[in-house]
Amino acid sequence: MSEETIVIAGYSETLVEYKSGRSAYDFAGEAFAGLLASTGVEKSMVDGLSVTVPLSECANPFFAVYMTEALGLSPTWLNYGGMGGCSATGGVARAMTAIREGMCEVAVVLSADAPSTNWAANYGAFRGEFQDPVGVLGPPATFGLLMSRYEHQYGLNYEALAKISIAQREGALVNDNAFVKLKKPLTVEDYMNSRMIADPLRLLDCVMFCDGGNAFLVTSAAKAKALGMEKTVRPTAYAEITNFKGADPVADITETGFSVLAPKVFGASGLQAQDINSFHPYDDFTIAVMMQLEDFGFCPKGQGSDYVMATDLGRDGDLPLNTGGGQLSAGQPGLASGGLNLAEAVRQMFGEGGARQIAKTQNALVTGIGVIPYARNWGTSTAMILEAS
Amino acid sequence: MSDQDGKPRPVPKANKYVATDSFWQGTKDGALLLQYCPDTEQFQHYPRPVSIYTGKRNLEWRKVAGTGTIYAATIVRVPGPGMDGRLPLAVVTVELDEGVRIMGNIMNVEPDAVAIGQRVALAWDAINDDIAYPAFNLVEA
Repeated sequence: MSEETIVIAGYSETLVEYKSGRSAYDFAGEAFAGLLASTGVEKSMVDGLSVTVPLSECANPFFAVYMTEALGLSPTWLNYGGMGGCSATGGVARAMTAIREGMCEVAVVLSADAPSTNWAANYGAFRGEFQDPVGVLGPPATFGLLMSRYEHQYGLNYEALAKISIAQREGALVNDNAFVKLKKPLTVEDYMNSRMIADPLRLLDCVMFCDGGNAFLVTSAAKAKALGMEKTVRPTAYAEITNFKGADPVADITETGFSVLAPKVFGASGLQAQDINSFHPYDDFTIAVMMQLEDFGFCPKGQGSDYVMATDLGRDGDLPLNTGGGQLSAGQPGLASGGLNLAEAVRQMFGEGGARQIAKTQNALVTGIGVIPYARNWGTSTAMILEAS
Repeated sequence: MSDQDGKPRPVPKANKYVATDSFWQGTKDGALLLQYCPDTEQFQHYPRPVSIYTGKRNLEWRKVAGTGTIYAATIVRVPGPGMDGRLPLAVVTVELDEGVRIMGNIMNVEPDAVAIGQRVALAWDAINDDIAYPAFNLVEA
């Protein structure tokens, strides 16, 4: 990402709640107002908006335009991101391009969803004929299949998955935004004793669908400075891929899109895995975290279990991991999920981590995962490297 | 097993997504028919509006043997629409001998007996008295 320097100059998050009774609009409004308050930016300055398609409002194809009305905005650039958990990082990347193209100057990347209150999604397509009849009704069955294949090829130490869950839970315990019922300490025994969902996938390998929202301010470094915003981070590399190996009918499903994103973002930033100060991988399931550790080269492919067992993933450890609890322990705010991992990375780099502040904040690696396809791993992968301004 | 609540299993609707009459006629004839791209001589599943190999609409439906090897295996234990009375349910991805994968259920053994690498053959899962859905049986080694 060369040319004009673009920065993330602010972030805002709501609490993650379960069955809040509130709408995506309400969460979006809270996140938006919070962003204006924390950045000092006037609403009238916002001329770009990226909105994430939410499960709770996706029956309305005009949700993004409705959102401009709800917020009283008249943007000259509007993006409606339908890549699920990739929509926040993808929205930031698209906002950067739009700013460089002169389509807007100050963009807000806004994600809010309330699927635990209102589920409006109907995936349609092939599922009624070719997926639902065999009992693959949601992501857990697909991830059970994926885990089984991973285990078959490489071996899988469930204690390593427990360790991922526990490391992230430590962050949620000191995260005021985390879903309150998840804020209790976790042990290996708790993990092992959690009920099987789709073997070998256990309950504590999975996120919990919740409600919530988040927002990011994206603008040029020059504009941020002119507006008096002192805290900024630079996205110095971004890459995405959708339907990885989509035309290979017998692709190895343990190979993910991240395997091609890693060399791109490391090449663009000049960083390597060992240079990364903190890792904020999209964490819908623990196995996805382990596979990303491998795909980004923190360890060789298939050695994720050994790497996790040998590595301190805590906030004071070797590789701080999803330091706010991630989605696994803070709760997954529907398709606003991708913004949760991103917000934590920005928060840490702004030095606003509070009780969970990490020491090294020169950079962070953030990822997104979106959509669960037929008999594969995931549909879209995004990766973004943030560096201190 | 979970409680039977007496609700019938949802009946898949043909031709909502792409033309799938051939697949459903096959189920009535006891045959598994999948989409085939004659230009590249490859099958694809699930069905698509074009060949995923060429982007062209030159597609046929061809019968596959229904034999293959289990590529991935799980046991679904969470309830959902149409799941009552079927849990725990063995769900597998089968790599068919024709070089294409399909998800299905294993009908002839308990879910715990299912493992990756096992050979399978076509079987049928009665959704109701009229409709049977392609499934698999383990083939004894």
